[in-house]
Amino acid sequence: MNCEEFELIGLDSGTGRITAAEEAAAAEHAGACAKCAALAESWDLARAELSFFGDATRTAEAPARVQMRLLQELRAQKRPHELIRRTGMIAAWGLAAAAAIVAVISWQKWNSGRHPIQANKNISAVSSAAQENQNGGAVIVADEDTGAFTPLPGAFPVAADDGSIYQVRMQRASLSALGLPVNEEGASDWINVDLLVADDGTPQGVRLHEDVTPSGTIQ
Amino acid sequence: MKVSDERDDVLLRRAAKGDENAFTVLYHRHQASLFRYALRMTGSAWAAEEIVQDVFMTLIRQPKKYDADKGEVGAFLFGVTRNRVMKHLERLPRELPLDPQLDSGVTNEPVDMLTPAFWAERRERVEQVRDAVLSLPAEFREAVVLCELEELSYEEAAQKSGCPIGTIRSRLHRGRALLMARLELLRDVPRRASAG
Repeated sequence: MNCEEFELIGLDSGTGRITAAEEAAAAEHAGACAKCAALAESWDLARAELSFFGDATRTAEAPARVQMRLLQELRAQKRPHELIRRTGMIAAWGLAAAAAIVAVISWQKWNSGRHPIQANKNISAVSSAAQENQNGGAVIVADEDTGAFTPLPGAFPVAADDGSIYQVRMQRASLSALGLPVNEEGASDWINVDLLVADDGTPQGVRLHEDVTPSGTIQ
Repeated sequence: MKVSDERDDVLLRRAAKGDENAFTVLYHRHQASLFRYALRMTGSAWAAEEIVQDVFMTLIRQPKKYDADKGEVGAFLFGVTRNRVMKHLERLPRELPLDPQLDSGVTNEPVDMLTPAFWAERRERVEQVRDAVLSLPAEFREAVVLCELEELSYEEAAQKSGCPIGTIRSRLHRGRALLMARLELLRDVPRRASAG
């Protein structure tokens, strides 16, 4: 090892930064070179003094007030975050509620649209039966199982849900006033009928009660 | 897993969401080393306090500045601290007042050795060394602080300084030479004064 190398790595002796072989070479050189030995001695002294300074600051740390200020800042930063989060939550719940309301309204509309179709089907089925009766003289059969109404002549097809149903006790002859054909033999009989009345108050259909006419027929 | 066992990046994510415990753990994990570095580089406890506070304020206000791909949180914090220290040194090249906190009971010596004479001599020597360290140019001072005071390896010091190992060795070599000369000078002053 020469003086230049000693200056570069010889002063690291005892720090663990150089190998054992380098340390041995440095010690050997210092033993032979008075200038480098003086340099090593000077550095050892400086390092010892440096260690005093190091010791004086070894356990130094930021005062507690720094942490306090930082936590205050963290809380201040947190507030807008919470506000945004709460606003988001409220908006999300609002949207969910709106979606639920829309879904319920849609379902109701769809459901109410489905029943008239069913009623129309029933009425049209009975209408065709009545048509046959008028044309061929057959008996009008009101199907009590389906709960269908016999539409009155000139009446528009109305769903049962859209109108009102009245239970009426009348003489069979009164059916003729509604435009229905009545058999003279039983004209004076009292019968119970369901009368379908539209929203405008006009009768739209009639349905026999089975307790009066077990056959369920209008005669 | 306890908060104190969490990794730095996990703590930082939690702190960014306002978790005070996570931030406190992260702060306590790093503040002392950052404060010591800043203190040894600036020689001012006030400056070191301001710098450390500024560094963690940055972490609170702009947590996204930390990029996990570029390294660990500790390295990021040290880098920010180093930048602040260098800016401080550029603005105020040197602050001489010695903070009394530096000497407040910080020693490994047994208490009975701390006679008034020992204390006075030691304080004087600490001030001399501190002045000598602070008289070094910033790059050399940093090499001395990291390698001699923090006792980091050349590799670690190079990593922290963001320069090659050879540069650190070179800076340390020159820093040592300047420091020895300065200390010799400071040691001679009292001798000459007493001789005169």
